[in-house]
Amino acid sequence: MPIPPSIARALASLYVSDEELERLADLHYQDAGHGYDAFGLHPDYVALGELIAGPLYDKWFRVISRGQEVIPDVGPAVIASNHSGSIPLDAAMIWMDVLRHSNPPRVPRAIADHFVPSLPWVGALFARSGMIGGSRGNTRALLENGELLLIFPEGTPGIIKPWAERYQLRPFRVGHAELAIRHSAPIIPVGVIGAEEQLPLLFVSKRLGRPMGVPEVPVPAVPFPLPVRYRIFYGDPIPVHEEFSPSDADDPDVVRSVAARVQAAVDRLLKKGLAERKGVFA
Amino acid sequence: MSAPALPDRRNVLITGADTPIGERLARVLVSDSRVDRIVAVCGGSPDLHPLADNPRVRAVEVDLVKGRRVRELLFGPARDEQIHVVVHLAMHRSPRAEGSRAHAFNVEALRGIMALAERHPTIERLVLRSDAAVYRSRRDLPVLIGEEHPLNIGVDVPQWVRDRVEADVTACARMGLGRLQVVVLRMAEVLAPGTGSQVFDWLESPVCFRPAGFDPMMNVLSLDDATGALQKAIFSDEQGVFNVPGADTLPLTACIRAWGRLGIPVAEPAMGPLYRIRSRLSGREFRYGINRGRFHFSGVLDGSRAREILRFVPAHPVDWPVA
Repeated sequence: MPIPPSIARALASLYVSDEELERLADLHYQDAGHGYDAFGLHPDYVALGELIAGPLYDKWFRVISRGQEVIPDVGPAVIASNHSGSIPLDAAMIWMDVLRHSNPPRVPRAIADHFVPSLPWVGALFARSGMIGGSRGNTRALLENGELLLIFPEGTPGIIKPWAERYQLRPFRVGHAELAIRHSAPIIPVGVIGAEEQLPLLFVSKRLGRPMGVPEVPVPAVPFPLPVRYRIFYGDPIPVHEEFSPSDADDPDVVRSVAARVQAAVDRLLKKGLAERKGVFA
Repeated sequence: MSAPALPDRRNVLITGADTPIGERLARVLVSDSRVDRIVAVCGGSPDLHPLADNPRVRAVEVDLVKGRRVRELLFGPARDEQIHVVVHLAMHRSPRAEGSRAHAFNVEALRGIMALAERHPTIERLVLRSDAAVYRSRRDLPVLIGEEHPLNIGVDVPQWVRDRVEADVTACARMGLGRLQVVVLRMAEVLAPGTGSQVFDWLESPVCFRPAGFDPMMNVLSLDDATGALQKAIFSDEQGVFNVPGADTLPLTACIRAWGRLGIPVAEPAMGPLYRIRSRLSGREFRYGINRGRFHFSGVLDGSRAREILRFVPAHPVDWPVA
């Protein structure tokens, strides 16, 4: 980021309260020197991230969440969520929700597709607030450091679902299950409701994506996200760290069965949440 | 074939002894009671070496491109001084050095030294100073670079990098095949003058252009930590490839600020031409083509293996002009 951390913090104070800024001083991360971790995270830019995501979280999407107490105060864990909404605002809302409700504060390290770090400005801002590129080496290092990973096992197909197929999960990839087993980390299933309706999708264009260096660009029916109500539900952790040994991560059957359990858990959270919901904006 | 045990006291031959790292290493070894004799191999006049008058140091001038001179060095002064460890630091620092002669100096000299060392009566160990530039930098590769990270091999890779990769692989290929113990230290950028550091040269301008929209994490090494790692490698009995990170991990823009320079973001297509013009006008060594990858994507050396096996932990941050 071209701005120094002190300016990022000063900017953040326009929206983020003094208490929250003070709380962020206890942020769990591994300072590799100069205040940054090896992946680029810096607490002052996390505060800047709150300045950007906070108004959306508080005012626009008016996020309601339940079950955050399952997130461990320390140690590695994998948050596995459904993915939707054409642009990854669901990741930003989970990021905000975990940051706000964990004490001491924890930043979920969102795993992004490989093209994200190569996006100018966006890649740098995301990296400062904790996002990492989805390579095996990155995820391994973070779990070994006892960090919290945020993974969307549906991948890109999840975020570009047609309107008619909203809340129908795409098949979960298995990487999150393999990682969790290998690094003895519990998996926390998360269901996000609301994001599917924020930007109804018209079509997906590969041609538009080419100049931007991204595989596909979703073209929504509205120019900006609708002020839908977000609901985030955290399910009971799946204790893969108690059920399996790290070497079980090499067994494809075990990994597939765990991924299927995670998908079923996320699906249950979605169904329960949708049944409770009174309306998209309510 | 297992290597014989090395004595606790070790005599050391340093190639590239007239480089900043070589000079610093020689000074450190002179004050190390575990070293009796040092052969300092210089590219220029040995009388100019700052330790030429030290009775424990024998400074010699050798053109490492010439195989016969290398043989005369190893079976002359090195045998006389009962050298146990060769520290190979000699490598062209300037990207201007291209062509077959540069390749002979960067790669063939090492190959020759290793072949001769295998049948040398006293040399048991070779330490190669390699470079983080041997690693590939790409958006889909991990930020934290382990020793198994993909190497920067390709037809479009500049010779400055290609020779470093070839020298590194040449040393690795010998590992465990003969009696010679081989250690390859892949060092982070040594941010000091005369070390061949591309980033140092880039920071020497009052204005530093960088690709707009990118601010990758990088790791830099101080001269003290570089020599510290070499010292650990000399006295260890382990062989292998080790990353040597520095104590400073920071984004490119923070690097510019800490060096007291003005960073100007520039559209990517303009970066190469701008630095080509700068190089032609001022004779500077920085080449954007060599650094394009790491000016976009983060790359930080993972020093776990060096910490566990060599007991090397970076402890001396770079002396940044602006604290």
